[in-house]
Amino acid sequence: MSWPIVGIGALASIGRDPEEIFESLCGGHSGLAPLRGFDKEKFKAGHLFEIDNRAEPGVDTPGRATEFLLDAVGQAARDAGLGEDLSEVPVLIGTGLREMRSLELWWRDGADFAADQLHFGPALRERFGAADTHTFSNACSASLYALALAFDQLQSGSVEHVIVAGADSITESMFGLTDAFQLEPPGRLRPFDVDRKGTILGEGAGAIVLGRTPGDRKVYGRVRSVGMNCDAHHTTAPDQSGVATAIRQAHTRAGVKPADVDLVMLHGTGTPLNDEVEVRAMREVFGEHENVPLVTAIKSMTGHTAGSAGVLSLITALLAMSGGRIPPVTELDEPTENISAMRLVHTTPVRADVGVAQINGFGFGGLNAVAIVEAAR
Amino acid sequence: MSELAPVVITGVGTALPGVTGTADLVTGPDLPAEPVDPAAVLGKRGLKYKDRATQLGLCVAFDGLKDAGLRDDEGPQAEGARIGVVVASNYGNVDTVCRVTTTIANETSRGTSPMDSPNASSNIIASEIAIRYKLGGPNLTVCNGDASGLDALRWAATMLNAGRADQFLVIGVEPDNEMVRKLVGADRIVDGAVAVVLEREETAQERGARIRARIDGFARTGTVEAGVRRLRTLGDDTPGGWYLPETAGGSEIPADLLAGVPRHGMPDAWGALSGVLGVLQCAVAAGRFDAGEQSPVYATAGRDGDGIAGAVLCAPRGTP
Repeated sequence: MSWPIVGIGALASIGRDPEEIFESLCGGHSGLAPLRGFDKEKFKAGHLFEIDNRAEPGVDTPGRATEFLLDAVGQAARDAGLGEDLSEVPVLIGTGLREMRSLELWWRDGADFAADQLHFGPALRERFGAADTHTFSNACSASLYALALAFDQLQSGSVEHVIVAGADSITESMFGLTDAFQLEPPGRLRPFDVDRKGTILGEGAGAIVLGRTPGDRKVYGRVRSVGMNCDAHHTTAPDQSGVATAIRQAHTRAGVKPADVDLVMLHGTGTPLNDEVEVRAMREVFGEHENVPLVTAIKSMTGHTAGSAGVLSLITALLAMSGGRIPPVTELDEPTENISAMRLVHTTPVRADVGVAQINGFGFGGLNAVAIVEAAR
Repeated sequence: MSELAPVVITGVGTALPGVTGTADLVTGPDLPAEPVDPAAVLGKRGLKYKDRATQLGLCVAFDGLKDAGLRDDEGPQAEGARIGVVVASNYGNVDTVCRVTTTIANETSRGTSPMDSPNASSNIIASEIAIRYKLGGPNLTVCNGDASGLDALRWAATMLNAGRADQFLVIGVEPDNEMVRKLVGADRIVDGAVAVVLEREETAQERGARIRARIDGFARTGTVEAGVRRLRTLGDDTPGGWYLPETAGGSEIPADLLAGVPRHGMPDAWGALSGVLGVLQCAVAAGRFDAGEQSPVYATAGRDGDGIAGAVLCAPRGTP
């Protein structure tokens, strides 16, 4: 069983639609920039991967995560020919931080905000007439968790389309707690580099439309499976066996073997422990086939976009499959010993024919989700 | 959602003010009551630095797993890798986020405490439950407004049908504090949690679990009226009771909708229930079926301007 992806939409610090983001990734353009919505005096770090859409520089406004989400969902729905009426289409949103940034502005500055704006349902209702909407707060694997639920819902046979989205803006509390924890600001986000110093937050949203049938629409790829589990191990530290289990589950459900996988979009947060555990789990599962897939990651250029990270990686994989170009990991001077055992695409893009891609998403609390997609052929 | 095979409730847990067991859900809570004390149930160990919502969640998880026969006081009685967790909570970490924001404004990021770091993530309740009780199945946090509790049950049922776990521990939890009261505009918030254990009927029968209630189907619609219409197509079209949404989004529920069917709200003295409501409705229904009631009930939660979730709750098959 697999479900066609018939529409995509996205925005991030490096682009306002999927094509623009993909070209930035292939060109090695980073979205890292001086703080736009936060008071520079309050933080050690001076840079984030923000989306530059505030009306007035330096003045933050509520509702930005919701704006990002509506933009991405609108793009994807248009692309799939669904238009603006989503009254019969479930919308499943994965997010790390919901509208917590608006909550902060309400609490600190008295900004206009209400309890039922913490989740995205009312805004999707107002814009698209959507009533079957679900906000899942599943940390950094949230949008791949949402993809798994959409897959299960299509399988249960009750709907024609499901939209899967991810959206996050940066909150002051998450930025501040990360900032305090990092002894010195990482400066750059450097996944798989021996000198990586930690992650840097980013903003973004992505959406895809899954259909029961493609109709006469462009098919970007087909979702074969999503595996999901929980380490049940440690609050902040990832667990190799939990991560490996999620990858194996995705392979089994899709009916693919490691040797069948041509491309892996790694989660790659640039955190010392996370990157190492992810690569070890990959090598454990892929074994003698660890040199088969190309592996890459997007966060050196997009930042860590939390709940939207998974769907942004997925859309990147879809465009890589359709165009035969794999964007590189940037900011890499010296790869770790473990990643060197795999075929890491770094510094410059490579050309490759990708039939099957794997997308990794791992979140705080040991939440793992791994998707397998195949090219539309 | 009518294509889902029926799922059943095999365990109920409560951590609610004025409630000592499921029977109290039927007779009504003894209110006003002292706040729930998680340390009295679990001991103090492992509760330090956990926020109130996480403590309530850990507490009710223990009660629910025990009631379902999935663990006893000595430890687990089932394979945790095949048990998943779904938590419904809208306001679980509102206090941490507000407090940290104030700290940063007054003292810069250097004033923040690393102990607040985990609680800044809204999925902290579900992941801490998984860690404490070693539950390795899918771990989902539903922050979806007033419908969250019933939505959580629906996604657990969806994942059970997809074979992703043998059981799901479904929990609704909301804490009471000054930030949430101000945000919601309420005098008090329930400051409690409810758990139900959900599994496929055949799984429950195979392991000899006591089935307390059955869920015959779920609905998700734009209005209460449409929700009720959908529920009538899923199960018995004249239920013995109707559990109402907490607020209908300002609009009155028409008097002739399901005319003659008794309408039930939850006691006002609990305060705002939010994400707890849908799970509580299931727990109350299970309590009523335990007490011998036979008629199915409709559960509804959510708001007209957002979305309305509904479920048909039935007595177990073959109850004498």
